[in-house]
Amino acid sequence: MAENEPKILSFLCNWCSYGAADLAGVSRMEYPPNIRVIRIPCTGRMSPKFILAGLRRGADAVWVSG
Amino acid sequence: MKNLLEHTGIAPGRLHFSWISSAESTKFVDVVKKITEEVKALEPALNYAKTEPKVN
Amino acid sequence: MITFKLNGQTVQGEKGQFIIQVAEKYGVEIPTLCNHKALEPAGMCRICTVELFDGRRSRFVTACNYPIWEGMEVKTDTKLVHEGRKLIVELLLARCPEVPAVQQLAAKYDIAEIRFTKDTDTCILCGLCTRVCEKMGARAISMTGRGVDMKVDTPYHLNTDACFGCGACAFLCPTGHITIEKINREHTRQKMQLIPSEYDMGLKGRKPVYVPYAQAVPNTPAIDRDVCMHFKAGGCQICMEFCGVDAINHKMEDEIIELEVGSIILAPGFKPFDPSRFDAYGYAKHPNVITSMEMERFLSASGPTGGHLVRPSDHQEPKKIAWFQCVGSRDLNRCDNSYCSSVCCMYAIKEATIAKEHAGKDLDCAIFFMDMRTPGKEFERFYESAREKHGVRFLRSRVHTIDPLPDGNELSVRYVTEDGKTIVEKFDIIVLSIGLETPPELVDLARRLDIELTPGNFCKTESFNPVATSREGIFVCGAFQGPKDIPQSVIDASAAAAAAGEMLTSARNTMTRKKEKVPETNVIGDRPKIGVFVCKCGSNIAGVVDVPAVRDYAAALPYVEYVSDSLYSCSQDSQQTMAQIIQQKGLNRVVVAACTPKTHEPLFQETLINAGLNKYLFEMTNIRNHDSWVHKNNPKLATEKAKDLVRMAVAKVALMEPLKETELSIHQTAMVIGGGISGMTTAKSLADQGYETHLIERGDRLGGQAVNLFHTAQGDDIQQKLSALIGSVESNGNVKIHLNTEITKVEGFVGNFVSTLSNNGASETIEHGIAVLATGAAPHVPTEYDYGKDPRVLTTLELDRKLIADDPGLKKLNAAAFIQCVGSREPQRQYCSRVCCTHSIENALELKKRNPDMSIYILYRDIRTYGEKEYLYREAREKGIIFIRYSIDKKPVVTAKDGELTVTVTDHVLGRPMALSVDMIALATAIIPYGDEKLANFFKVPMNADGFFIEKHAKLGPSEFATDGTFLCGMAHYPKPIDESIAQAKAASSRAVTLLSQKTIFSSGTIAQVETVKCASCGVCVSLCPYSAPAFIAEGRFAGTAEINPVLCKGCGLCVASCRSGAIHLKGFDTDQIFSQIFELADAI
Repeated sequence: MAENEPKILSFLCNWCSYGAADLAGVSRMEYPPNIRVIRIPCTGRMSPKFILAGLRRGADAVWVSG
Repeated sequence: MKNLLEHTGIAPGRLHFSWISSAESTKFVDVVKKITEEVKALEPALNYAKTEPKVN
Repeated sequence: MITFKLNGQTVQGEKGQFIIQVAEKYGVEIPTLCNHKALEPAGMCRICTVELFDGRRSRFVTACNYPIWEGMEVKTDTKLVHEGRKLIVELLLARCPEVPAVQQLAAKYDIAEIRFTKDTDTCILCGLCTRVCEKMGARAISMTGRGVDMKVDTPYHLNTDACFGCGACAFLCPTGHITIEKINREHTRQKMQLIPSEYDMGLKGRKPVYVPYAQAVPNTPAIDRDVCMHFKAGGCQICMEFCGVDAINHKMEDEIIELEVGSIILAPGFKPFDPSRFDAYGYAKHPNVITSMEMERFLSASGPTGGHLVRPSDHQEPKKIAWFQCVGSRDLNRCDNSYCSSVCCMYAIKEATIAKEHAGKDLDCAIFFMDMRTPGKEFERFYESAREKHGVRFLRSRVHTIDPLPDGNELSVRYVTEDGKTIVEKFDIIVLSIGLETPPELVDLARRLDIELTPGNFCKTESFNPVATSREGIFVCGAFQGPKDIPQSVIDASAAAAAAGEMLTSARNTMTRKKEKVPETNVIGDRPKIGVFVCKCGSNIAGVVDVPAVRDYAAALPYVEYVSDSLYSCSQDSQQTMAQIIQQKGLNRVVVAACTPKTHEPLFQETLINAGLNKYLFEMTNIRNHDSWVHKNNPKLATEKAKDLVRMAVAKVALMEPLKETELSIHQTAMVIGGGISGMTTAKSLADQGYETHLIERGDRLGGQAVNLFHTAQGDDIQQKLSALIGSVESNGNVKIHLNTEITKVEGFVGNFVSTLSNNGASETIEHGIAVLATGAAPHVPTEYDYGKDPRVLTTLELDRKLIADDPGLKKLNAAAFIQCVGSREPQRQYCSRVCCTHSIENALELKKRNPDMSIYILYRDIRTYGEKEYLYREAREKGIIFIRYSIDKKPVVTAKDGELTVTVTDHVLGRPMALSVDMIALATAIIPYGDEKLANFFKVPMNADGFFIEKHAKLGPSEFATDGTFLCGMAHYPKPIDESIAQAKAASSRAVTLLSQKTIFSSGTIAQVETVKCASCGVCVSLCPYSAPAFIAEGRFAGTAEINPVLCKGCGLCVASCRSGAIHLKGFDTDQIFSQIFELADAI
């Protein structure tokens, strides 16, 4: 993996941001291919442990979106 | 959370939060672009990963 | 299959394919200007020249139209090919030196100078235009002339009818030689027009094949036959060739389908008023005068400007925007709509607030209005915050004319302020807040259906039957019943469903079919055997992501036993194949890498069930919406991303366990709390649909507040209708009435409530499946305006009682005053009581009827006779009732001196106090909710700051609570008149029946569960859950620890994250499953 292509671990709420991501696709918008999405049922599910685990295991950044 | 990260030596730019409704695809794209740019501007995350022994 | 060599590589293609098609498949680029997938190749531009070796000698052929054959050898990158192409490009550049497409090619082939004589043409004679014109079936243009005079033209260079102005030629022209302007000028007599997008109010164009908007249901494209070239000229059908699943059939014809139904519900909606007929506003002439519907699109992120607010004339950011209210409403002079459209005040405030949020604080937003009408739940607070927090200006003035300024952008308006000053102000955009109207085709429909309409052309209904039309069996909901907003439309919709359901109860479930069940294979303890199915989605995914590579990558992942790819995984035959493979290969986990689980997960889960697998042994990953569609310019990284996503999904699915969906029976009994009009209506509706219903009333009689009311706004005699309703409830065998009864205890949850009732000390328990809270509200008892001190000052409810009793004293009054907003719209009670304006005007008219000589004054802040109640306001003014406006900081003063009752009010026109000598003052008092904390706790339902219950969703779930099995209606929700209370009562019944009629419900499998031994009994989950799912176990070994009711749990995971002992697990999204995804991602880095 090239160094300038970071991987951003993304936790997206099923009902909000995941839907927005779907719609972005339907609208054929373009954005950088660096995010890796994990679908969660609600941002309430988020635990700080996930963020720390992601960063510790080498994700370049973590993004949580409700 | 961000403070904790800073304390452990991780740049706060590595953690992002946002709220986007399911109709706001434009906002979604804007946020992805912004975050990607910010993260690219940071040094590669070498300081705290990969070499860490597995705990679990 | 034909095998041949391409640049030394052995490649394969289908018989009949051309070289360029096979080259594209293998990623070998061949330049071309004249080739298009949809058209027959012509070999016109010659740039695609390649070298062909036929076994004996080499020659040059055009790759676009040379068919492949077995054993041929093709070379695309030799020096000779390069030089040949270079010469062709140089010749083209000499002919068309200014054309960008040719210039780009020239740069690619390093052509610095042109050795030939330069021309100034822009056409390269590629023939795309003439071929596509022929394909369209129009044949309007062709190559005319010969040799150097050859050009594309219509016969005799005349504008022709043969050209339909479809624009296909301009769309395909690679050089810009053909433009839409040129077609309109030189070629066609049928001028070319943009097809306006209906959804974007014509601010954007759309294609003849289109999906109306992104969220449309069904989300399949439709062909607009009026503009499609195939239906105009008989040709084209390119869409058919490109559709991978042969879904397009132009020969489909309209069918007339006859259905036998027991009831009809009309929900045809409204049409926004067209303001172009108002010359003085210049909507049709000036681009910066727009309608509120257009403003909605400008503010929308998916709108024509992507949510960026611009002035339409020059696309500059506006500095000042004005809204004009009541355009096409409350207006008899310029149009026939004298009703109030109900929704415009709120949407104007909303638009102004959003505009300020988009454009920043400096944007000036002004709303010109007559009366500010915000009588809905939480609306008054919204109005206040727009004014106080956002700084939206509210100007009470009706502007007559908009004057465009010579610069073509700004608009000038002249208006008179409340204190009589004339002001001229300039704005960048003026938004006309257009009203709601019934279109002529609906008036026609009403005539054909033989149903009556109101004077405003809305469907005529009665106060006590607000969703029934004048014809039995036909019901109505939404804006066709009267102008109304979303919550009210949703309430009406449920009410209409209930009304139809009451009629058709005997037919319920007579036309349903039962599904066969495949026995579930037990996979617990088995080693994971994962099947990965990668979808190409036609070219939607495969066009960007290297699907075979992803498939092969998946095959090497742990526990993966089977991989495959398919053109469309969701097609019926793919589904059948998938089910077969699962059974044949003994797969016990499935990953589908395709589109979004939000739409397709249920479909694939169905396939798993059909294959005998638990539907939760499944994971879907989104390599279309989140990958191929959004990274089309980066196939390499998109493929990488797809591999990552698949790997994460495989890791997660390996940890999936079969989940059980708890089955729960629903007790077929209902409980309705509150014996007012709402409660009785709900009880009657439920009983009529066959459910035993307990109606609980703490008082000693049924009827609630309605016993004090005289007439409805439509003039119905309330007492007469009320006793009829009470009679029908009392005589209904399915309704058990409990008077003088309080609820002392409620246990259980959806489907299985157990409530304890107390009746004069005697206690009784009732089991019921659902509960409806219809507890109503009470009148405010005023402390101001000498109420209680002077018997001539009374509340409007007390006046109603006098009217009911036909009090002879009323006829003798010489003068009476009504004071509005007594206790409403005050800082401590920031809501409008909704009914008082109409109620006072109704009473004032009744007094006028009894004594036409009586002077009547109504002192008000804003008259809020929304909808067709506006007619009463007009009638009152016509009958000489005097309306005087006061402001909250200068309230009227009531004095009783020497037996003379005087009310003093500061008139806003004169600006000085005016003393009115009257014989009676009626106070329009606020409606106060009971704010019954005990009841709220019993059913675990929330209340707002004012004490009204909070519904599940303000717009979409107005008659139910977030907690399953509990519903609400009537004034416990918000103050409302009788017709709206009855509609909501029926709506609550309808919502309840959707649950009751299922008899049993299944909980979702993806819910939280407590690991009892780890629970520390801290109670965080119990207090946190918005759905009241966790509770402490009352007895037994684990007493005191928390337990989650699977039926109430929505699987949000809030409790899981909050649990400090790690005792709660969310099935399907458990911590180890999410960790596995995180680790899989990390391991690849």
